[in-house]
Amino acid sequence: MSGIALGLLSFPVLIALIFLRLPIGLAMFLVGGFGVWIVTGSPRAILSQLKSVPYDTFSSYSLSIIPLFLLMGQFATRGGMSRALFDAAASWLGHRRGGVAMASVGACGAFGAICGSSLATAATMGQVALPELKRFGYSGALATGSLAAGGTLGILIPPSVILVIYAILTEQNIAKLFIAAFVPGALAAAGYMTAIAIYVRIFPGSAGRREPSPTSERVAALARVWPVLAIFLAVIGGIYAGWFTPTEGAAVGAAGTGLVAWLNGGLGWKGLREAVLATAVSTGMIFFILLGAALFNSFLAFSQLPQEAARLVGESGLSPWLVLVAILLCYLVFGCVMDSLSMILLTIPVFFPIVMALDFGLTPEQTALWFGIIVLIVVEVGLITPPVGMNLFVINAMSDGVPIGQTYRGALPFIASDVVRVTLLVVFPGITLFLVEALY
Amino acid sequence: MSLIERLIERAALALALAGGLALIAMTVLTLVSITGRSLVWAGLGPVPGNYELVEMGSAFAIFCFLPWCQLRRGHVTVDLFLAPLGPTANRLAELVGNLLLTGVAGVIFWRLLLGLADKHRYGETSFILGIPLWIGYAAAALGAAMFLAVSAFTVARSLAELRGRRDDGGNPGRAA
Repeated sequence: MSGIALGLLSFPVLIALIFLRLPIGLAMFLVGGFGVWIVTGSPRAILSQLKSVPYDTFSSYSLSIIPLFLLMGQFATRGGMSRALFDAAASWLGHRRGGVAMASVGACGAFGAICGSSLATAATMGQVALPELKRFGYSGALATGSLAAGGTLGILIPPSVILVIYAILTEQNIAKLFIAAFVPGALAAAGYMTAIAIYVRIFPGSAGRREPSPTSERVAALARVWPVLAIFLAVIGGIYAGWFTPTEGAAVGAAGTGLVAWLNGGLGWKGLREAVLATAVSTGMIFFILLGAALFNSFLAFSQLPQEAARLVGESGLSPWLVLVAILLCYLVFGCVMDSLSMILLTIPVFFPIVMALDFGLTPEQTALWFGIIVLIVVEVGLITPPVGMNLFVINAMSDGVPIGQTYRGALPFIASDVVRVTLLVVFPGITLFLVEALY
Repeated sequence: MSLIERLIERAALALALAGGLALIAMTVLTLVSITGRSLVWAGLGPVPGNYELVEMGSAFAIFCFLPWCQLRRGHVTVDLFLAPLGPTANRLAELVGNLLLTGVAGVIFWRLLLGLADKHRYGETSFILGIPLWIGYAAAALGAAMFLAVSAFTVARSLAELRGRRDDGGNPGRAA
């Protein structure tokens, strides 16, 4: 059997193993390892690779940004900053129709600026916002839907763990990707708020009223969120200005967030211990998948499938836009059952060369940045699409008795908003790229 | 069983905390280095070999995190398709997963030791500080050995759950 046929065959095998509930990293490790064995005809190549691949993957300087960002996110969830952000957003937005839900989305977006993970953002803001939404008479569907959707801003608004991994896989500049994600992230928050505004006009019973806060209170509330802004500017600004590498930026962010959390009284010895242990679980999980993906990608490279697929699609004369839409639909379908990180690691090695071989009237770097942001958004949609949307589960579990069916229904307006936004970003690459162009 | 369980839990916990300590040390080291670099005019400078220290720390930390993640059932699985088949089918899948994972952990540990021997034999050192690379491998081997031990333990745990002696098969653990 040719390498390419094996490469093609490996995908259904891998997916079958994953659907049989094998850990995803393990499935990639096995298929990749045995794949290299079969392609090269002996176990020698893979065994000699394995002497160094795990150590090299875990000691990679650019990947060491991930545990640091995860630690930063853990500190952020314990630092009391979620309460301050929610209060500030609610004092400015809360009196509008659907305003408390809008404030939840806004606070999620702001929290995303110091936390690179969707689940952590949804869970942390959920703790603060769900009781408030209930107190002001918001329906379970709207409350849980807003927070699950708001959580996806955590990964859209930089820093973002997934974007870091995309940057490393495709050898792109992390700082430029962070900057490219900024406008689409802000657009996402605005789109979610619009979705809420429309929803509460169609279903007026789903949201109660909240009295407007006096101006003095608004200003005071806003003043309390300055640490979040300071940390965000230091990390992203410092990386952009070249004061430090992205990994160093993550260390600065972790230290700054830890300091604020400690000053707020949320990070004693017990808190620190818990933060470290939670970081250990998610770091172990992510790096085991990264290791599996390293083997699987090495197998794909042996099979020559990515190059061949790119050549075939390039020569097929298909419209680049059609190919792009087909790829994005793939992500939407898979997003219903798989997590974002695994999807990125599995598909980017094949899809990225294909997209780069197509002509969208952009430079290669522009195409890479633009495609990265769009992929980031479509995989994040997977977090709020039934039946397996992790954010939906997390928020639903915290919501004290909202039926999961209602949460599914509550997510629909936000999924619609996501579809509109992805369409806009695909049709107008300039939305993503202009800030990068302006700053570089 | 329960003595082994306690021992495994304690050891995995200790390693995870050690890895966390390494992570915090990396953070502090980086901060010191950045500060030094920005004070070059005052005669200070970045910490020499800062990057390679971070790399070694990172490898140690992540190898130390793996056993804890495995013990806490932290690995991502797609549960959707097996969920309707009931608890027995799912525990069986978990058992198979843990068995295969134990095999993989064994291979990782075995190859890492050979990698260690290679680095030791050829005397490779890090670029700036000249630290022998086998030291990094040796530190990592600690975590890899524990990963193997914990994986084997989770096979036993899955077996016990399959026989219905423990009823926490569906507990997803404390994933972040």
